[in-house]
Amino acid sequence: MKEIMQKMRAEAARVLSSGEVDLVLGWEKGDLWWQSYPVFIENEKKAELLTWDLFCVPNLAKYLLEEIWHKKRVALFFKGCDALGFNQLMQDKRVDREKAFIFAVPCSGLVDPQKVERAGLHQGLLRVERLGDELTFVYKDREKKTAAPWFYYDKCLTCRYPNPVVFDFMLGEPVPVNPRERFTAVKELEGQNVDARFQYWQRQFSRCIRCFACRNVCPACSCRECIFDLTSPRWLGKATELSENQFYHITRAFHMAGRCVDCGECARVCPVQIPLTSLNRKLIKDIDELYGPYDAGVDPQKVPPLVTFNPGDPAAFLESKGV
Amino acid sequence: MQEIQKARLPQLWEYLAKKAPLYLPQQEDGVINFAPWQEGARVKLESLNTVLPPKSIVFPQWETYLHFTQKARELKLTPTKEPEGSYILFGVRPCDVAGITVLDRVFLQDPVDVFYESRRRCTIISLACNEPDISCFCSAFGLEPGFAPAADIMLWDGDKFLLWQSLTEKGETLTHSLTDLLEVPTPAETESVQCLRETAATVQEQKWGLDGVKERAKDMFNAPIWDSLYRRCLGCGICTYLCPTCHCFDIGDFSRGERGERFRCWDSCMYKDFTLMASGENPRPTQKERVRQRFMHKLSYFPAQHGLYGCVGCGRCVRKCPVNIDITQVIKEAGGSISCA
Repeated sequence: MKEIMQKMRAEAARVLSSGEVDLVLGWEKGDLWWQSYPVFIENEKKAELLTWDLFCVPNLAKYLLEEIWHKKRVALFFKGCDALGFNQLMQDKRVDREKAFIFAVPCSGLVDPQKVERAGLHQGLLRVERLGDELTFVYKDREKKTAAPWFYYDKCLTCRYPNPVVFDFMLGEPVPVNPRERFTAVKELEGQNVDARFQYWQRQFSRCIRCFACRNVCPACSCRECIFDLTSPRWLGKATELSENQFYHITRAFHMAGRCVDCGECARVCPVQIPLTSLNRKLIKDIDELYGPYDAGVDPQKVPPLVTFNPGDPAAFLESKGV
Repeated sequence: MQEIQKARLPQLWEYLAKKAPLYLPQQEDGVINFAPWQEGARVKLESLNTVLPPKSIVFPQWETYLHFTQKARELKLTPTKEPEGSYILFGVRPCDVAGITVLDRVFLQDPVDVFYESRRRCTIISLACNEPDISCFCSAFGLEPGFAPAADIMLWDGDKFLLWQSLTEKGETLTHSLTDLLEVPTPAETESVQCLRETAATVQEQKWGLDGVKERAKDMFNAPIWDSLYRRCLGCGICTYLCPTCHCFDIGDFSRGERGERFRCWDSCMYKDFTLMASGENPRPTQKERVRQRFMHKLSYFPAQHGLYGCVGCGRCVRKCPVNIDITQVIKEAGGSISCA
């Protein structure tokens, strides 16, 4: 990872000094071991701030929507999941491919701080390093080595596009693609009866505090004005009453249908661990089964199944009602 | 000082829950929050901070305070009954107790908020931290991870038992009713409290010096830090809703036909509609002004108004911000010094 980080800094300095771009969007290391956050670099001398480590999880693509960058040429770094989000923004005509210079960073998985904490490895931790498939947890006076996948985000373990599908310049070598089955949790839920499923989701949604982090981080949530922010009329009441929470999550999920790139960011940022991945993947699975396999964000030229109509499209929902 | 064997805690909880609603940290679907105790509850005392602070009990995310009906020209208003205040909060960490005292400054000063005042009649049983997290910084604000002066009863974790000390008359009364469950600790056990307090204070590695921070923060309105810090902010409400001291609220109505209810609910200065006026004017037009507001409020405006910082160093916002916006960086910018033990 250090080698790629050096390349990142060199390339960022190069594109800024040559005037190819006005801004570089990357990640910077914070004071604490899990902190690697988005950084905005406009001066080549600041390229040294860039980092690439096991915690560079935030997707940078959505910052392109901010008005202050609209007229700028921006270079940015994408992991596989980030690239899918960018393509979705492009498909939604919200970003301009021509104004972005994309560095691809193949990614074999990032570390979930909550898993580190659950394993009790967080106290006194200074940093985490990776060599091959092995992680080293570094403390003041000791080290601990362990198999890396144990600590990867669930979304990384099921990632099918670790190598960015859109880029101008590739940093590093493509990594092997070896995803675990992603519909396991969905199938488990599908196996339950309707009452059990309803109760399950009621319990999940009842925890929602309506912080909107899931929406704000989502690369497919790019409406200029969100229905949930409207004050007149106020479609979504501000009280976190269960039915309002359900209205928020279910409406959002349907709006994501056929557009969710399965980057898993919504579930990552949720402070109360609502399993939004299962909700979105249920819709992905249904679309796959009804209209054939489709992965949002992979090919922005491909027509998404839910924005087109074929006479042969299945209409079981009509037939079963006897309409 | 007294003590209770950990093995007898379920008995204690069962007894307390019969006296009054008992809220303690419980795990559901992997999330630890304060919830009412019931038979078979998955109590998680050992976890440091719950996801939501106990603010969510003394100042719930939303509550109805008025019912109304309107027929023709007749409007009938029925205030909601004041909430029940005789409940027990068990296992509250010292930073969260301090968070409640910050809320007190807001809601108990004139005009007193009657709903808050009623809920504030609760009994708070605090549990000292033996080993604060790397992202905890309560000591920066003169708080002690091993002691909560504003609690009614203070507990220290002595591994197999909890040491028990009542700090108020209310705490004393409750303690007296528990003679069957509490025991007298050995002198060595009693002494260990001092040791636990000191160890907790040293484990919090970072030693903060906040001299002059609130004065300097006052002059930070036009500081360059806001220009860089806000850019990565997602504008979500995690930092405010998980904060034990954030207390801004909004008022709204549910209504259907002739009847409805008026509620109040948490609101967040991170949201763009927080300061949006009916005319369409917004005095905090971008995320920069919103981010600045949150930190200035905690470090400058609140201290100026109430004499104490609006942050208790629980570290929730530090841990949960999706893009690692970190208040300790702002404190350093305001001249807060930091050294490692």
